Amino acid sequence: MKNVRIWFKKDYECRYISHLDLNRCMLRALHKSKLPVWHTEGFNPHPFATFPLPLSLGFRGVNECMDVKLENDDYPFEKIISKLNECLPKGIKVFNVTEPLMKSGKIAFAKFSINLSCDKINTSKIAEKLSEFLYLDKIEVEKKSKKGLKTVDIKQGIKSAKIEEKFDFVTLNVVLSAGSSDNVNPNLIVSAFEEYLQLPVYADITRLDLYNSDMELFR
Amino acid sequence: MIPKEVEKLLLKVQKPGRYVGGELNEVIKDKDNIDVRFAFCFPDTYEVGMSHLGMKILYSQFNSKDYIWCERVFAPWVDMEKEMIENNIPLYALESGDPVSDFDFIGFTLQYELSYTNMLNMLKLSGVPIKSCDRHNLTQIVVAGGPCACNPEPIAEFVDLFFIGEGEEVDLEVIDLFRKCRDEAKSKSEFLQMCSQIEGVYVPSLYDVAYNDDGTIKSFTPKNNAPSVVHKRLIKDMNTSFYPDNFVVPLIEIVHDRAVQEIFRGCIRGCRFCQAGFIYRPVREKSPETINAQCRALCENTGYDEVSLSSLSSSDYSQIVPLLEKINEWSKEEKVSISLPSLRVDGFTDEIMDKIKTVRKSGLTFAPEAGSQRLRDVINKNVLENELISTCETAFNGGWTTVKLYFMIGLPTETIEDVEAIVKLGQAVVDTYYKCTNRPKGRSVKVTVSASSFVPKPFTPFQWEPQDTIEQLHEKQSHIKECITTKKIQFNYHDADTSFLEAVFARGDRKLCKVMELACEKGFHFDGWNDCFSLEKWLELFDECGIDPSFYANRRRSFDEILPWDHIDYGVNKSYLITECKKAYEDKTTPHCRLKCNNCGAAKYGEGVCFEKRKNMV
Repeated sequence: MKNVRIWFKKDYECRYISHLDLNRCMLRALHKSKLPVWHTEGFNPHPFATFPLPLSLGFRGVNECMDVKLENDDYPFEKIISKLNECLPKGIKVFNVTEPLMKSGKIAFAKFSINLSCDKINTSKIAEKLSEFLYLDKIEVEKKSKKGLKTVDIKQGIKSAKIEEKFDFVTLNVVLSAGSSDNVNPNLIVSAFEEYLQLPVYADITRLDLYNSDMELFR
Repeated sequence: MIPKEVEKLLLKVQKPGRYVGGELNEVIKDKDNIDVRFAFCFPDTYEVGMSHLGMKILYSQFNSKDYIWCERVFAPWVDMEKEMIENNIPLYALESGDPVSDFDFIGFTLQYELSYTNMLNMLKLSGVPIKSCDRHNLTQIVVAGGPCACNPEPIAEFVDLFFIGEGEEVDLEVIDLFRKCRDEAKSKSEFLQMCSQIEGVYVPSLYDVAYNDDGTIKSFTPKNNAPSVVHKRLIKDMNTSFYPDNFVVPLIEIVHDRAVQEIFRGCIRGCRFCQAGFIYRPVREKSPETINAQCRALCENTGYDEVSLSSLSSSDYSQIVPLLEKINEWSKEEKVSISLPSLRVDGFTDEIMDKIKTVRKSGLTFAPEAGSQRLRDVINKNVLENELISTCETAFNGGWTTVKLYFMIGLPTETIEDVEAIVKLGQAVVDTYYKCTNRPKGRSVKVTVSASSFVPKPFTPFQWEPQDTIEQLHEKQSHIKECITTKKIQFNYHDADTSFLEAVFARGDRKLCKVMELACEKGFHFDGWNDCFSLEKWLELFDECGIDPSFYANRRRSFDEILPWDHIDYGVNKSYLITECKKAYEDKTTPHCRLKCNNCGAAKYGEGVCFEKRKNMV
């Protein structure tokens, strides 16, 4: 038995499916591919797969991963890539398979690229407002928790931010706290920015990479 | 492919995965190399439509032809509809993202009367004129098929042509005729006239209807050489007929998220309320070899780990045990489970139970339909109470603890005693559980009693019957509630308001087109969903049109009245339906097709159960 980490991109149509749907999609592809992955035991056996950090509905992901257990230790990784890609919808593409070097609990940061556009104001105005917004002492948002709504300051969860003005949108590259505690969803930043602008914006969000607490690439 | 303008809307609506396509096995073609574009529209949400087997069959079959590109279209849910209207985005097909108005054919499948408003609304959202007479050219041909096409009259003014019966062959004949007519620069009306000569095609605009003073039909007159009776089409050999080896595998969870394998068409039983039991006659089976091979291919190509064997009353498949054995040879190894969703009370044997529970244990549902034996005889259900009880014993001893029982209220001749008998039967099942020695220890039993309201349907022996009024149905529902004394029985009932509207449209005539048109204008949609349905608004509409809906729902017809669907033939003689109706009044049952041929008329097709050797024949 060998643990392997399967790396994939989630984009195009598949950007619009939830984590649960992605999970179902992956299990079906694993089943269809007949790869020697370990199945759960019991009444309803299915391939055992875990996702180190789920991706929200609507986000693109270029460096996403899923962990499975291989029953055949010598099974070639290239074959996993090609077989899975045959069984996946075109919005999900496997591009690498590795042996995991870090445990999923080590994830502490995630890097996103957020493309912002707004029908009402031009890009330089967006960029200007955005930099004002990021200099605020506090960015307070309402966050839903099990105990109901609570107000949290997400400012301290923004590790770094860089604004780039493009032709018809503004790109905000941010590194945010991620993982099971202190996770900051970039949607929170977008809605806080909308609140600040008092205008609706369209945000096209891509998760680029995951990191551990020392800002080493999650592998 | 999602239109660019749509992308911005998708994050504002629930379940955007409904509107994007891009699934495994979707068919993408180069539209420049295509002769005919067919928009297959399902007048309900993605999750409902994607669960429908007929659409999967026809989608694959159309796309197996290199000159046709068939794409899927579903009704956008109300949140998406609102966004699309506000942003001027017309309804588009999932594969290409092209607007529905670009298509040569716009085809609807009519599964349920309450989806008629969705059909019209989808045309409206596409910017296509809803009335057939307002679409002049040989493009945007609106066609419809499915069980509701058996009484097409309430939507006759909107649909250019209906497919009567099974679509696999006739659809392609119509498409081929269309190509020919387009090449020869024929007009739409010439095309429709030529179509009416194809067996199984009904072109409503080629018929004139005259009415009597009391609102009933006086005459039905064909024009331009159209046939006076339209005969249904049917697939004769199920083993050689087209069946997909591949399904589009949805990205989001749908209602029936599994592979579906058809095992036969039709039903031998002849329950008198059941339209499907009459319009799909005669029973035609696939061989176990065909089913097994198709099943396996489907699972391999989709990656589904569950396959459901689909038919009416699946346990009536003549070789059910050999079939399950064959499938079990590979299904365990491949970790695929089998489910049989349509089991009769008298068909649930130990043997079948052993074979289907190997991998997964799903709930058990039985449909005695009526509480008392007398009423079960009236409807020709042919199930005895002790059969139900012994079936439940089998199930409880096999480890099941929940059973669902389906009933109908408002059946012809029903008395208050019959209604009470529903609760008694539920109680008897609860008592059975505690008598079972092998029942799961320490666990309680749950019996769900579901009561829907009877809707009289065309082509059944009850097509002349009045439906109970909404008040009568409400009284019966509350009476059942009062009679239940145990918490082990859970009672569900179906909303009587929607059943009333269903009854109006099921047996409606062309006068209802006016109501449908106004409903569409006023933005009615998703009437099958509680979120949207309002009987009050419908009653206002009927009032505005000067139409009394109870004329259609609650009136008893005489046997000699001309019914709106009398010019359509589904193979079962009207005289047979009359005989069956009279036998119902006498509480007399009719044996099923395998025991005895009752000469319903379906033998004229020369196939299926009508020509099987019966065991009691010498």
